[in-house]
Amino acid sequence: MSDAAASVLEVRDYSLAYRTGDGPVQALSRVDFSIARGRTLGLVGESGSGKSSIAWAILRYLPANAVEGGGRILLSGEDLRAKTRQQVADIRGRRIGIVFQDPSTSLNPTLMLGRQIAEVLIRHRGLTEKQAFAEGEALLARTGIARPAEMMRRYPHQASGGEKQRVVIATAFACNPECIVFDEPTTALDIVTARQIQDLFVRLQEDTGVAALYISHDLALVSRIAHDVAVIHRGAIVESGPAARIFGAPREGYTRMLIAAVPHPDRRLVDSHPPDGAQRLLGLEALTVRYGERSLLSRMLGRAQEQVVGARDIGFSVRKGEILGIVGESGSGKSTIARAIAGLNDFSGRLTLGDRSFSGRGALDRAYRRAAQIVFQNPDASLNPRQRVREILSRPLKLYGIARGRAEIDRRVGELLSQVLLPPEFARRYPHQLSGGEKQRVAIARAFAAEPRLVLCDEITSSLDVSVQASIARLLVDLQARTGATCLFITHDLNLVRQLAHTIAVMYRGDLVDLFPVGAADAPDRHPYTRTLLDAVPVAVGSAA
Amino acid sequence: MNAGYLARRLAAVVLVLLVVSMAVFAITMILPGNAAVMILGEYATEDQLKALAAELGLERPWHVQYLEWLGRLATGDWGMSMRMSQPVTLLIGDAFWRSAALAGAALVTVTVVAVPLGVLAGMRRGRGADLGIGLFAYMGTAIPEFVTATLLLVFLAAPGRQFFPAGGFVPPGEDAARFLYHIVLPALTLSLILTAHIVRQVRSEMSEVLASDYIRAAHLKGLSEATVIRRHALRNAMAPAVAVISLDVGYLLGGIIVVEEVFAWPGLGRLMIHALQNRDLPVIQAVTLVLAGVYALSNLVSDIVIAALDPRVRYA
Amino acid sequence: MRELARHPTGLVGATLLAIVLVAVLFGPLIAPYDPQQFHPAERLRGPSAEHWLGTDQFGRDILSRILHGARATIMFGLGATFAGVAAGTLIGVAAGVAGRWIDSAIMRLLDGLLAVPDLLFTLLIVTVLGGGTGHAMLAVAVAFTPGMARIARAAVLSVRTREFVQAAQARGESPVYVIGAEVLPNTMGPVIVEATIRVSFAIMLGATLGFLGLGAQPPSTEWGLMIAEARQFMFRNPWCVAAPGVAIAVAALGFNLFGDALRDILDPRGRQR
Repeated sequence: MSDAAASVLEVRDYSLAYRTGDGPVQALSRVDFSIARGRTLGLVGESGSGKSSIAWAILRYLPANAVEGGGRILLSGEDLRAKTRQQVADIRGRRIGIVFQDPSTSLNPTLMLGRQIAEVLIRHRGLTEKQAFAEGEALLARTGIARPAEMMRRYPHQASGGEKQRVVIATAFACNPECIVFDEPTTALDIVTARQIQDLFVRLQEDTGVAALYISHDLALVSRIAHDVAVIHRGAIVESGPAARIFGAPREGYTRMLIAAVPHPDRRLVDSHPPDGAQRLLGLEALTVRYGERSLLSRMLGRAQEQVVGARDIGFSVRKGEILGIVGESGSGKSTIARAIAGLNDFSGRLTLGDRSFSGRGALDRAYRRAAQIVFQNPDASLNPRQRVREILSRPLKLYGIARGRAEIDRRVGELLSQVLLPPEFARRYPHQLSGGEKQRVAIARAFAAEPRLVLCDEITSSLDVSVQASIARLLVDLQARTGATCLFITHDLNLVRQLAHTIAVMYRGDLVDLFPVGAADAPDRHPYTRTLLDAVPVAVGSAA
Repeated sequence: MNAGYLARRLAAVVLVLLVVSMAVFAITMILPGNAAVMILGEYATEDQLKALAAELGLERPWHVQYLEWLGRLATGDWGMSMRMSQPVTLLIGDAFWRSAALAGAALVTVTVVAVPLGVLAGMRRGRGADLGIGLFAYMGTAIPEFVTATLLLVFLAAPGRQFFPAGGFVPPGEDAARFLYHIVLPALTLSLILTAHIVRQVRSEMSEVLASDYIRAAHLKGLSEATVIRRHALRNAMAPAVAVISLDVGYLLGGIIVVEEVFAWPGLGRLMIHALQNRDLPVIQAVTLVLAGVYALSNLVSDIVIAALDPRVRYA
Repeated sequence: MRELARHPTGLVGATLLAIVLVAVLFGPLIAPYDPQQFHPAERLRGPSAEHWLGTDQFGRDILSRILHGARATIMFGLGATFAGVAAGTLIGVAAGVAGRWIDSAIMRLLDGLLAVPDLLFTLLIVTVLGGGTGHAMLAVAVAFTPGMARIARAAVLSVRTREFVQAAQARGESPVYVIGAEVLPNTMGPVIVEATIRVSFAIMLGATLGFLGLGAQPPSTEWGLMIAEARQFMFRNPWCVAAPGVAIAVAALGFNLFGDALRDILDPRGRQR
């Protein structure tokens, strides 16, 4: 038996459709791939590509309205479609494992973590409870948990995201399965933890020789750990092959487009330096933001601040026309700063815009608010679902007196739409009739409608598909160049920020730990946390398109 | 869950009762402008009103009256019933246990029947058993207690086909069997409606739990259906179910009033109706506070039970 | 509307409501007899060709009484709920918008009021004010206010933190605009759903009050009152109490199911995927 023939998991010519109220929807069309022992196949696709459906099909956990078409699914040569329910239950957990995206929801909140590992061992390996707990502890140790005995007795809400995902991985590996399916396993984790989890997986795979199907939308992540890659688009495999070839010399147009859309630090979208001689536009001094209301009681008693500090003593300045990128993990305070500058959070300290200075949220007046506009992360929530695009865009025009009268407003709205590359008919639409990317364009148009001097972008690409992200980033850069506005670009994506910022600020747990021009990212005098971040970020394999 | 949590919850109960007492006081003493008018009715003479007003001390500023009234309540002096010339505490004491027996019978029946039915319906969502149970549950929530009571009487207590007595009460000390005989219909009435409510809630909780990610993960570990339901689903559905049951205690307390009236069961509800008809102020106030207190305490108990079931609450 | 067609319980609810609506609008017109007319020769008969639902203790035609009584019963439910929803929404929105200690204070007050069961609250108020339909409606409205306030407040709070509201605040829009144009239009959904379901409770409460003699008074043909009047004779002709009982159930069920369907339609998260 040659190595190539010893495929652990094979999907051959498989098709799947769903019955919906609007008729049958094709989810998968003649999908075909195989994974050998000890190999990882990265399955890459955007939302709606059908990549998750493959996981369900393999695990035989399809919803009631699924209609399977032709094709076979083989585990070590056995046809899974021919198995009975009991046989499938025997296979799950023992011969095929699965690791989901969000460990917070895939662990039972009311059971101890130890029990959730032990039950797999009891079910499939016939261990007694005592043996299972002991074995579970050993498994946790293998996944790098510091105090496994303690962790066994904890509940999910008492463990961090990274720890929970290690538990889930330990459970998946517990019965030495032949194959494991990973469905976006690190998407819900911060970069540093994600890197650790990935390294853990690679190590475990080397030890056990398990075959892995790694499903993700993130090409950069996949490039780091997959031996082979398959690109899926609208239910069909567009291209597949060894990872090096796919990323180095992609053949299909869709693959090329996808790779090009991935942010790469070397592919700059703007010049490396802001316009010369530009004056300072925005200045922050000792800016501190605190959360939480002090209860009436503590106010009366004059107790010291019991509040949570979102951002502490922040100071930096930004020149006119400059793009400052602010990066950090969730909880670092980067969004807090943006919202304080936008006038949504109260702050202490000093905020200067142009030649005007403010010492608190109450001091910000309408002129300031017009000059500083914000675009939010979630396109679904940033537009009023009950207003048409025309109303949404005309609001700032009316409020700031930029345009008056129906005719002028309509004309301006049309101009704004064309600036963000949307057809003028969209003015009549409601937000639910737009795609995520289109909604985000409207949100950007709304911000620029006010003719602002400063635009705050709070993770504006994070909720979008990869291909859409690139176009939004490009749009922003174009508008910024055209209007000369200054931009604060908040994101957790280091590669993206290295593409489009002039200067980068790094936040960690509420403190500003580093501030440097983008060219100096690899300089030796960087803060250690910056180094950690940069090391953890995967860089896409692939030449510039 | 520590002593601090308990202390805070108890404080909340006290606060709630204070608010209720203020509301009761306001409604019965202040709103009619003059409580004397309310007690004696519109046809009382000027002199009678003046006399009663003086006796009750109604000319004093109302916050003084309130605090004095509150003080008396707190020290156990709940006044005398105006119609029955007995201490209110005595009247309430007897009535309380009779109502408690009825409520208890209903709650036990409901918990034993409704929760499993709800769980079953949630598991079999969309199929035969669920539709049948769901239908029953919906109809149950649309029928007022007095209709259910009346219909039960028609079917089970009509002369000639009298399976159960049409009302009345026999103290358990006197004749335990006949006591039970009399409690069946009123308890059944209450149970039917409560069961319908609870089945509906438990069903929706259960089906929501079954749609969650950790249930999916449990299935994909190869665990049997029975294990998944027993170990994973039920625990998570029970906490919200308890919350619902405690909310329904409030409904139960309202329903008791009507049911006791229809079946002539001499509990707090019947006492209340008589007091309302006779404008017996001290009794009205006292019964309201007792019922509100029972409700608030039952919420507290359910909070404790939920904390016992859900570790997130316990260790928060 | 298309969505309603796909929702089986919603369709049932809508059908029941349609029947009720016909009775309310056209009841008195299509009733075969005068509801107060005695037919002494035909007292306490069961259903027959002349009297489809039978007759009561005075020989009055039950069907006609029910058709006439539809107005009293349903209008009570709608009126009381509308008043309670209006008052409650006002308070709830005010609390949700004001925030901080005003909000906390209002919530504590509401918690206290909610500790009194609906029926009890209603009885207290009716006793103080006196009986009769008007007072009973007011009592139910007042009893509903705290619950509705809570729902409205929760809806406001959930909308207030959404980004499009914050975008408006960041722009410097006046509070009036923010509440009126951004917050309120998006909170009406849960409020309407709850209101619809509450109509069914109001109908039942009104019938209960009528039954206890504290709500509608004779000669009204309110359904609860009908049952009270016929109580003594229910063993001789169960139809006297069964017919109005079923009518109450149909009306309450209709609103209940329809409200549930509305909730499923308006809130996509609640739908079964």
